[in-house]
Amino acid sequence: MPMTPPHIARSRLSDRDLRRAAAEFPTAFEGLSQTDRRDLLKVMGASLALAGLAGCHQDPHPEARPYVRVPDGIVLGQSRAYATAVTFGGYAQPVLATTHEGRPTKLEGLPDHPASQGATDAFTQAALLGLYDPGRSKGPARLGQPTDWAQIDAAMVANAARLDAVKGAGFRLLSGAITSPTLGRLIDAMLQRWPQARWHAFEPVNDDLRLEAARQAFGRPLLVRPQLEAAEAVISFDDDLLGPGPFQTSQARGWAARRAAYQRGQGGSELLTAEPAPSLTGAVSQHRLIASVAGVDRLVLALAAALGVGGVAAPALAATQAAWLAEAAAALRRAGGASYVGVGAFHDPAIQALALRINDRLGAIGRTTVLSQPLIKATPGNSGSLAALVADAHAGLVDSLAIFDANPVYAAPADLEVAGALQKVRLRFHAGLHADETAALCHWHAPVEHDLETWGDALAVDGRPSLIQPLVRPFYAVRARSVLLQNLQGDLAADPRRLLAATWTDKLGDLDSPAWRAAQERGFLDEPVTAVTAASAAGPAPATSASNALTVLVRPDPAVWDGALANNPWLQELPRPFTSLTWDNVVAVAPALARRLGLKNGDVVQLAAGARMLEGPVWIMPGQDPSTLVVTLGFGRTAPGLGQAVGFDVAPLRTVGASWRVDGATLTPTGRSLPLATTQDVTTLGDFDFVRTAPRTSVAPKPPTPPPPSFYPPKPESRPQWGMSIDLDVCIGCNACVVACQAENNVPVVGKTQVAKGRHMHWLRVDHYEAGEPDDPAFFNQPVPCMHCEQAPCEMGCPVNAAVHSDDGLNLQVYNRCIGTRTCSSYCPYKVRRFNWFDFTGGDPPELRAARNPDVTVRSRGVMEKCNYCLQRIVAGKIAAQVAGRDIADGEVRTACQQACPTDAIVFGDISDGASQVVARKAQGRNYALLEEANTRPRTTYLARLAPDAGDGDG
Amino acid sequence: MPQIFRPSADIWLRAAVVMVFFLVLGGGLFATGLARSSYATGQGWPIEQTVPFSHKHHAGDLGIDCRYCHVDVERGPVAGIPPTYTCMTCHSQVWTGAPMLAPVRDSLASGQPLVWTRVAKLPGYVYFDHQIHIDRGVPCVECHGRMDQMPLAYRAHALEMRFCLSCHRDPAPHLKPPDMVTRMDWAGWDLVAAHRAYGAAAMKRFHIEPAKLTDCGLCHR
Repeated sequence: MPMTPPHIARSRLSDRDLRRAAAEFPTAFEGLSQTDRRDLLKVMGASLALAGLAGCHQDPHPEARPYVRVPDGIVLGQSRAYATAVTFGGYAQPVLATTHEGRPTKLEGLPDHPASQGATDAFTQAALLGLYDPGRSKGPARLGQPTDWAQIDAAMVANAARLDAVKGAGFRLLSGAITSPTLGRLIDAMLQRWPQARWHAFEPVNDDLRLEAARQAFGRPLLVRPQLEAAEAVISFDDDLLGPGPFQTSQARGWAARRAAYQRGQGGSELLTAEPAPSLTGAVSQHRLIASVAGVDRLVLALAAALGVGGVAAPALAATQAAWLAEAAAALRRAGGASYVGVGAFHDPAIQALALRINDRLGAIGRTTVLSQPLIKATPGNSGSLAALVADAHAGLVDSLAIFDANPVYAAPADLEVAGALQKVRLRFHAGLHADETAALCHWHAPVEHDLETWGDALAVDGRPSLIQPLVRPFYAVRARSVLLQNLQGDLAADPRRLLAATWTDKLGDLDSPAWRAAQERGFLDEPVTAVTAASAAGPAPATSASNALTVLVRPDPAVWDGALANNPWLQELPRPFTSLTWDNVVAVAPALARRLGLKNGDVVQLAAGARMLEGPVWIMPGQDPSTLVVTLGFGRTAPGLGQAVGFDVAPLRTVGASWRVDGATLTPTGRSLPLATTQDVTTLGDFDFVRTAPRTSVAPKPPTPPPPSFYPPKPESRPQWGMSIDLDVCIGCNACVVACQAENNVPVVGKTQVAKGRHMHWLRVDHYEAGEPDDPAFFNQPVPCMHCEQAPCEMGCPVNAAVHSDDGLNLQVYNRCIGTRTCSSYCPYKVRRFNWFDFTGGDPPELRAARNPDVTVRSRGVMEKCNYCLQRIVAGKIAAQVAGRDIADGEVRTACQQACPTDAIVFGDISDGASQVVARKAQGRNYALLEEANTRPRTTYLARLAPDAGDGDG
Repeated sequence: MPQIFRPSADIWLRAAVVMVFFLVLGGGLFATGLARSSYATGQGWPIEQTVPFSHKHHAGDLGIDCRYCHVDVERGPVAGIPPTYTCMTCHSQVWTGAPMLAPVRDSLASGQPLVWTRVAKLPGYVYFDHQIHIDRGVPCVECHGRMDQMPLAYRAHALEMRFCLSCHRDPAPHLKPPDMVTRMDWAGWDLVAAHRAYGAAAMKRFHIEPAKLTDCGLCHR
């Protein structure tokens, strides 16, 4: 037998080692397998030779094109802010929009607006990118082919003339949710002109069930708005009060205000949740009970019975449920009228109505439960549903159809078969930001203006009308929605500003009046919707169903919502709460169910309910009810764009009758699996104390302890010294800070493949932890920006001194020095440094470049970057103060994350100023540093979450 | 086995090694010299412009203040290249038919901006703020040189980081009264006894601490 020469044996051995290593660290070896050593050396040599050339392409004398005439008030290089609003789900989100030389670059909350008080949510932050979306439709189209406005105008005029003759017979308007008084006025006028025409509304995520519940309880559809700032006890039955949606900012503000008062010792702040799947509200609850949807319904009945709401008999409860219920009932009795009971918006209206009766019984109506007329404009007689339109189309009653801002072909439940119904309509117009799935089935597509380039109005969630003004002239051949509504009626001379002004002439006078200018400057009219009072009538006790089969819950995605935002890269790459998943949706399953079926994250399953089915990857969601599965809307888009073929579409599973809850589902593993991109691989807290809980007494200040000794050189003392405090007691993990940071600091988007390799670029991440039993854990959120360690390990590691410390305590990264050794990142205990593995921004189309903040460097390949406490804002604040000859005031410099935060969890300021807010926070007993034992002395510290008071739990 | 190399090969090899050494050294020196040369930094090289605007004529001979055209210099980060409108405030009255000014008139008529070539452009990762420098009394001439003597504008200094640092490390000699920042000729300023200690006094008055002026984050972010 021939002997194997020793050198070959050695090489085989190393091959096996390599294979083993490759199996363990697949991403490190990806792409290397096909390359032999010689090729690799060639490539390395070539890239080394070319690396030096990369710095040579900058033109030292570029072109400059100054203004021909400078617009009033413009100071070159300085941003300006305008009060306006962007719409979400029909509601106005009032914003203060920053522009640089006419380019909108950042949206902040409107500080004067009572609904948001200057805060925003992730959707509002990301709305900026919607303006610059390269996938927006840029001109009108006929049958999918570009055309010009003259053609589509001619078609609209001809149709209008025909409709005038028949009083609009056969014409239908389909719109999304509308709160805009101007659009409402124009639609009313249109329906008056064409009495035979009908208006239908379709908003995929809507308040319909809530309004129906109010109708059952109070006899008429009313909008119920919880006033959480007044609610000392909140019982949430799968009601995600703090979760994503148009009301998030306002409600989170309210809850945080109550919580802050509670921290100061003023009144209570109790929050108990019973829910089938973890929600942001459940995560911050003092007692979270896992219950199936049917179980939640039973608990509502039981609570009604316990509080003596008429006609309800108490159902039988398990011991844990009874204990939770007793705690909830006791909390409500303590708080009386200062309490709020909510049932999820997707639950049976009869159960929701019962919660309204409970609130009435508690005396909460008018205090924590404010009723008002709905803000979303209702179709006449509430007859205009999408289902009615589809039925009429099939019956041949629809001759021409105009669709505004709605995408029913994608977003409607599959059993409606909207696409088939559309084909029955002779003439179909579509108006929207994108040439979406519905536009593809329409004869004409008219692109509309983004909220940041249009004139308009809309109601904020508190009913105050916001005035929308353009910050920039439209980039493309687009028109305002109001103008298109007039065009449809044959009026081609319509002007959006005049249409808007005509709505407000009674209140504000004409366009030149001081009142109009003042309102425009302020951004909104201080006219909240008037609260109405109503007494609930006793109704029949709702029946609850108990089924042993699986129940699928359909929920909007916390980032791309109903799919309308699927083209927004910031939102697609936004790590979702709890899972930190990006670029995908999943079938969330409980750990117990996953164990039973032998499933692991990413395993593709077939989800079926009767003949309806879909396939998607599973995600094991701790704290979820074992009989419940959760899927999210907004994925599996088929229209061309960023969202195309990302994730799976849940429409095939939904029906008109069961659009939010599909009972009797079955789950079958397919044996395949999909790679999923998450930004946090481990979420179990284990024995670590990254997040902490402390008793309420720890709010009191404690004397500072001297820091442990250190070998680091002492730093000179000077003022100011910047620091940050993050209160984990009020952080709800809403991600507003993450997107705000991304927008402020030109943070690139890297795509699913790179996220899967751990190369996401977010400077600020929100970590999610589960503590305790995996089946029923406690949830924690923890925003983690750079800690700005006083004794920063990264600075010791950098071979070229690119990681340096400033006199005011900032840990800085000097991009032009960085050579990309990544030593700093390996030295960083907090893993907050981000490396540009590729040139993520160089290939951006011009419109995306226009969205960037000019005050922040756009980083190139091979450079490390990280949070710098919004250095550009600090410098701007410093210069403003120095020019004015004063010190920087506390709160004058606010970081982007702080400004966006709806719960004021983040406070930034000068820690050498004894009177500053951040010093007061850091003095509290519950203040702690992440990885304190590393003795890095972080400038960013946390306030521990408050444990429920001992007295609260025993009832 | 026959001998492959002649005895002189050894000499040639040594010569080649020495040559390569000097070539690499010379190449390195040349590259460094080139990078620091005025050719690379643009220092002293007048730049052709669409309209051959003469700072010498306007600022020097006519004595127009810098801020008449560069209006934002006192209130914003950039001084700004003036809009066509500013040129026409005068040139709608004087030299109205000059062929040299045809592009200016065309720009106003058509609404299309004039295209200039930037002279003092800093790299994208450097953030310089005019407002604070003007406010503290760093005269224009410190960085831009004698603009009043330039028929066509050029970079008076290389505007490299060491140039910035030379002042940030020792600002006192460069500070002048803020209300006189646009004055170009400061020869003899220090010869007047009353002015000799101005820099030190200004440092004190404005609480300027040179130790803080070399923080990287002041200019790079």
